[in-house]
Amino acid sequence: MTTSAPERPAAAAPTGSPVLEATGVVMRFGGLTAVNNVDLRVNQGEIVGLIGPNGAGKTTFFNCLTGMYKPTEGQVKFEGTVLPPKPRAVVQAGMARTFQNIRLFANMTALENVMVGRYCRTSAMALTSIVRGPKFRREEEATRARAQELLNFVGLGRTSEHLARNLPYGDQRRLEIARALATDPKLILLDEPTAGMNPKETEEAKQLIFRIRDMGLAVVVIEHDMRFIFSLCDRVLCLVRGETLIEGSPHVVQSDPRVIEAYIGKPDEDELEEEAAKEDHA
Amino acid sequence: MTTSQTTAAVSNPRPSSQWLITLVGVALLIIGCFLSWSYVPALLGNLSVNFFPGAIQIFMIIVGVLGLFFLLLRKGLFPGAHKLLDSARGLRALSVTAAAFMVLVVIVIGLQAPGLANADPGVFVTLVGALAMVAGSFRMPSDPTVDPITVHLPSWVEILVIVAMLTVVLFGAAYALGQEDGTVFSLFLLFLAGLVVALARAGLFSWFGVIAQRNRRVIMLGAFAVAFLFPFTQNGSDANMSIATQVLIFATTALGLNIVVGLAGLLDLGYIAFLGAGAYVSAMMSHSAFANIGWKPPFLVVVIISAIVSSALGLIIGSPTLRVSGDYLAIVTLAFGEIFRLTVNNLDGNNGPDLTNGPNGIPGIPELEIGSFNFGDTHNVLGIPLGRFANYYFLLLVVAAIIITVFTRLNNSRIGRGWVAIREDEKAAEAMGVNVFGLKLFAFAGGAFLAGMAGSIKAHQDVSVTPDQYIFLESAFLLAAIVLGGMGTVAGVLVGATVLKLLPEKLRFVADYRLLTFGLLLVLMMRFRPEGLVPSQRRALEFHEDDADLAERIEDAHIEAVTPMEGRA
Amino acid sequence: MDQFLQQLLNGITLGSLYALIAVGYTVVYGIVQLINFAHGEVFMIGAFGSLATWTIFFKGQLGLWVLPFMIVGAVLAAVVVALILERVAYRPLRHAPRLAPLITAIGISVFLQEAVRLFYPGAKSALPFPQIDMVTGPAFQAGPVTVRRSAVFVIGALVVCAILLWFFINRTKMGRGMLAVSQDPDTARLMGVNVDRIIAVAFAIGAALAGVAGVAQGLQNSNIDFFIGFMAGLKAFTAAVLGGIGNIYGAVVGGLVLGVVEAMAVQFIPGTFGGSPWKDVWAFVLLIVVLVFRPQGLMGARVVDRA
Ligand SMILES: Nc1ncnc2c1ncn2[C@@H]1O[C@H](COP(=O)(O)OP(=O)(O)OP(=O)(O)O)[C@@H](O)[C@H]1O
Ligand SMILES: [Mg+2]
Repeated sequence: MTTSAPERPAAAAPTGSPVLEATGVVMRFGGLTAVNNVDLRVNQGEIVGLIGPNGAGKTTFFNCLTGMYKPTEGQVKFEGTVLPPKPRAVVQAGMARTFQNIRLFANMTALENVMVGRYCRTSAMALTSIVRGPKFRREEEATRARAQELLNFVGLGRTSEHLARNLPYGDQRRLEIARALATDPKLILLDEPTAGMNPKETEEAKQLIFRIRDMGLAVVVIEHDMRFIFSLCDRVLCLVRGETLIEGSPHVVQSDPRVIEAYIGKPDEDELEEEAAKEDHA
Repeated sequence: MTTSQTTAAVSNPRPSSQWLITLVGVALLIIGCFLSWSYVPALLGNLSVNFFPGAIQIFMIIVGVLGLFFLLLRKGLFPGAHKLLDSARGLRALSVTAAAFMVLVVIVIGLQAPGLANADPGVFVTLVGALAMVAGSFRMPSDPTVDPITVHLPSWVEILVIVAMLTVVLFGAAYALGQEDGTVFSLFLLFLAGLVVALARAGLFSWFGVIAQRNRRVIMLGAFAVAFLFPFTQNGSDANMSIATQVLIFATTALGLNIVVGLAGLLDLGYIAFLGAGAYVSAMMSHSAFANIGWKPPFLVVVIISAIVSSALGLIIGSPTLRVSGDYLAIVTLAFGEIFRLTVNNLDGNNGPDLTNGPNGIPGIPELEIGSFNFGDTHNVLGIPLGRFANYYFLLLVVAAIIITVFTRLNNSRIGRGWVAIREDEKAAEAMGVNVFGLKLFAFAGGAFLAGMAGSIKAHQDVSVTPDQYIFLESAFLLAAIVLGGMGTVAGVLVGATVLKLLPEKLRFVADYRLLTFGLLLVLMMRFRPEGLVPSQRRALEFHEDDADLAERIEDAHIEAVTPMEGRA
Repeated sequence: MDQFLQQLLNGITLGSLYALIAVGYTVVYGIVQLINFAHGEVFMIGAFGSLATWTIFFKGQLGLWVLPFMIVGAVLAAVVVALILERVAYRPLRHAPRLAPLITAIGISVFLQEAVRLFYPGAKSALPFPQIDMVTGPAFQAGPVTVRRSAVFVIGALVVCAILLWFFINRTKMGRGMLAVSQDPDTARLMGVNVDRIIAVAFAIGAALAGVAGVAQGLQNSNIDFFIGFMAGLKAFTAAVLGGIGNIYGAVVGGLVLGVVEAMAVQFIPGTFGGSPWKDVWAFVLLIVVLVFRPQGLMGARVVDRA
């Protein structure tokens, strides 16, 4: 059983060439500006954290990056070329994501979920699939093998034939990561990958993200768990009400009073309670 | 009932009172069937002769024998099989069937003979037997050790089971088709439904599902062989072959629609218009005196052209609509169906060019001719005459085989996985790189292609095409077949199409209530069994989002089916 | 020019009928995102409801005073049927996959048509509709334009219904609840809005207007049959899409536009593709064109789907 997904050489250095450059991204919904003039640059082999209180616009920013939303203003460049706001083109270019509220294909098996991820890297069309020549069978076999390999990589090798909806919560999150990895991304965006996990699972998730980074991928992670973020990331960006509050090394962000204020301080009491509830839940 | 009771009842080798009561019931049931049920010989076939059971008495004998089998099973007479079948649940369903059946028979005798004075004691003996079976079996505890999906038999036994099953289907279908008497036919249906329910309750079909999945190819070939042999059982009679041909063309069209609805999850309510487009193209290129296209290519070319025209229409309708929310498609296809009907109705020379001969349609389409084989002639094969309908039947069988191949192979491929992903969560599928629009359009236009193909044959088989053959209700009718049978399964559609087409043919008295029933059927199916009679597992899961039990069961069966033989404990 | 004015009036008349039915599609869609295919049949039931009211209570009477009763009969029949549908067929499927309520709606449609055909006395063919004094009868001349009396009734009915609807939505608690649910059902529920009630009310409002439309149809065509709901429903849906489905005023505008387009197509499309045999075809072509170029409809603003 292979536990590492090969194919890609390990990253040369954490600060390689830029993979993603988003500049001046703005997203408005009617009167509400959910994301306001946010810049983000991610380098090859880097893990970037995205934090901010609830409703800060983190998920919306992800949606803008991945073409789920067409940003009102701003531009997203991937490996030097501007991406059209089409999810499929984004995946094709090499950017994959997971969802905050798990969105697996619930009634497919774990293996099939990951195989769907291979869709954009395979090519069998209608006639090929109907005639079933050797080429079709080879591709199908390769898809299956690669999917199984990725399941092994995230630690779900033994549950490949289980239905996604029957998997425990933590496994579902890992399955989402495997599905995203199946698209052969260069950059992976994780939206709260440890929400609802216990400390042990959270630690495993952290190791998994390190291993993904070691494969040479760049990673952007949204998380509310500060300990997790600051021990994982090379760089952290803090959003508040859609705007960049501060960006810098974990150390700098961690000790900035404005960040603490944004989370615990002034805004209002509700947010604090909500935050506390969230921590409890985790 | 508590678990301790249950285990005690099952492990106890001494015959319990309920077992004995049921046995007595079975015995009475069978004995009654060998006695006369009525003085009147013209009633319900002939039930008036002692020791020569008529048709409906034979139904009850079969029920009795099956009941006896279940009873013996309970006593462990067939080692190994007790894990396969839950005899108590089977017996319960069986006894209810028998009782309902006999009550109906008594009523029919009372009404048609007329008067119960014309009933013989036999009928009451059997009725009492059935009631005794009910009394006994309902106090019989279920067997908790039954777990059909883990039962493994040697593969030749599995294949034998499949062959037996298919043979039963063949003879059942031939019998049903041959039955002239509406009342006997209804009783036959009741008997059949009861039998199926009893076996299903006993767990036979969940086991059958697993072996069917393992032996898919055998089933497919077997079913095809059965369908192929059917005309040879008819001795050249056209009556049944005409119905069979109609059922087949209906099923073939429904299969194509099931790719669109069942696999891709798109509600296409104008499907009949694609069939119509194919039929009209084929008619206009035929040698009919009313055909308005001068070019008369050979039929195989016409088939391709019809299919291409249909799919081109599909592209025109689909490409704007499939980009917006799925609900629009349903209503736009509905509108398209109307456009099609109105257009062929209008193009008579007064309103627009004369292409379709307006409301009168194109009559007098000659028989098909492929090479030198004329479909109107009767041919003798092995001394059995095969008439016009048989010829079309065989051709349609080939088309059905093509569509089934397309269906199953697409379903098991990258494209099929894409469709499932789209059905589950369109946005997530898109975010994972699935070409959502492309796959939908492909399903839609591909479905239209297959319908066009079927339509080009239908034109010749019907001899004429008219606008009122291709109305919305026909689309709704096709949809009903899919919903009844099962979205996304081949077997389901075949069952659904057969039932829906055969019933009105055989039961004239329901013919007028046909559409009313179908409307109600759609509503009830969606409410109570949206996955259909022969469900696709995935569809069943989709329609029962919060049924955790079902998910466990289906997962177990799936793991059972994919685990290789040698890897098993 | 006279031709044009005449066709404009004809179009507005036809369009008013479409608008009355289209509102039903749009209110329900705005709140539950369900296309109630069976709505055309609710309209048909309304027409038969008013006919039945007349036949049972007022047979032979043709005075204008009967009309309000007929309207009440139509509205009652339509609303009762719509509420039963909502409760029995749609509500249990609210969380089922999309296909389920759509297929149910088809089933209901066929069922209602057949039920009327089989069980309403004489409904296997068209039935004459009572020609009430004042709102039917000889047309009058307004300048160059011939005005049918039933046209006045239809347009008047639309105006009155639109005003009542406006008051209901903007001035009543229930109406504001409806707006809240259509914008964000979950939050509305949390704020104490009874969502089930609101949905039922939406069905009822749509049905009431469809009932009025049913009477109008009967007066205009002087007879009704069990199949009128099919085409009217399709057209009204087209109108709703045209105006922007989910937008109530859009439905009214869409209905009027569709009616006018149809009337003009009959008159002004030259050659053999003009004329009334093709008018339905042009209406549906318009539907498809709108979907291509402006899927949000004339009055709808583009909204960002929640990802
Ligand atoms: N499609 C949309 N239409 C309207 N408003 C939206 C839409 N999507 C997001 N919003 C709003 O944008 C704001 C930012 O939401 P977003 O989900 O991005 O926050 P977040 O930072 O991910 O919060 P959380 O930590 O709770 O996940 C919220 O006020 C939300 O209601
Ligand atoms: Mg978020």
